[in-house]
Amino acid sequence: MKKIIIQGVIIIALFISIWFTLTQINWLTIFKVQKITDNTEQKIGELFWEIFQKTEKENTNPFVVASVDSIVTKICSSNNIDRELIKIHILDKDDINAFALPNGYLIVYSGLILNSDNQEEMIGVVCHEIAHIQLNHVMKKLLKEVGLSVLISMTTGNGSSENIRETAKMLSSSAFDRNLEKEADIKAVDYLVKAKINPEPFANFLYKISEMENDATKYLTWISNHPESKERAEYIIEYSKGKKIKYESILAIGTWDKMKEKLRE
Amino acid sequence: MKNATKFIYEPGEHESEKASNSYLMSLIALIAGLPLPIINLIATLIFYLGNRKGTYFVRWHCTQALLSQLSMLFINSFGFWWTVSIIFTDDTISDKYIAYMIAALIFNLTEFIATIYTAIQTRKGIHVEWWFYGNLTNLICKAEA
Repeated sequence: MKKIIIQGVIIIALFISIWFTLTQINWLTIFKVQKITDNTEQKIGELFWEIFQKTEKENTNPFVVASVDSIVTKICSSNNIDRELIKIHILDKDDINAFALPNGYLIVYSGLILNSDNQEEMIGVVCHEIAHIQLNHVMKKLLKEVGLSVLISMTTGNGSSENIRETAKMLSSSAFDRNLEKEADIKAVDYLVKAKINPEPFANFLYKISEMENDATKYLTWISNHPESKERAEYIIEYSKGKKIKYESILAIGTWDKMKEKLRE
Repeated sequence: MKNATKFIYEPGEHESEKASNSYLMSLIALIAGLPLPIINLIATLIFYLGNRKGTYFVRWHCTQALLSQLSMLFINSFGFWWTVSIIFTDDTISDKYIAYMIAALIFNLTEFIATIYTAIQTRKGIHVEWWFYGNLTNLICKAEA
């Protein structure tokens, strides 16, 4: 009996050790899985961004661009994120919306900045979107919603332009599933705290906007596709509690006001 | 892995054929139901149940075939559901997954080859006891039952 148990354990141990040994090999590189995924992501990101570039008006005011840029740079440098990866663009649109596209494209609508009472609110939303990018939520969502084969056919020019446009719009106007949203919220708080930015205004922003939801305004895209705003605000406050840090601002108050002014022009 | 030992009695022609069939059964079912890890187990189980009242030699080999299938079921089911979760959920392909699949393939192949070998040997009336599985079968399958 004892002999059988020992032999059984040996077989299990043998399997686990073979598995463990094989895990040490970088299979994804050998099978070029990562390379294919990266290439697809890069091409898809460019395709989608082109669509927004064509249909919407990008704000290229140097003051606005430089201000937003300094915000992103600060967040990236405080959190060891490759700054080159995040390609932020501001579009002139009244909707309160921001979203991430594949390959690190981050689109912010001017409506979001103009409706933020202070820079921390807007930075909170930007951090939330950077978190989606860093956590690879965008590609995960695309793979789930449209599938790898459709994505690859888009990049090889076989996909219909209608299809590409619809998928791009889907990314701008629908949320990720609950768990991914929560994950991004928590990560966003981490980014904010590391960059010494108070996360509370981000929660306030969600509260404030959830109140506005009743007004049934059509401009609240970011919030209408991010459900349970109150609940989110609560767990953000809960998570950021007890982090005793002296908070700072990235932009000077004057710069923030001037940027809003430029956006209104 | 395998030991050809003398069985307590000399099995007859029809017994060798039946015992050999128990292994073949699992092979055919394995090929037929490849993506699903449970088909070959069910096939072997049916064959086992059908031969419960068979002679000792036949019962012994049906049991050994069944036990080997059973352990493969654990390995394969885990791999199967892991694959399903990659296709349908947020799970992505990782080095761990590929390593698991290769390890599972190695074990399946070993079992596959051992099964073919044993099927041939038992057909000739030679008694083959697998390492671990043979001992386990001796424990479960008794002559007087």
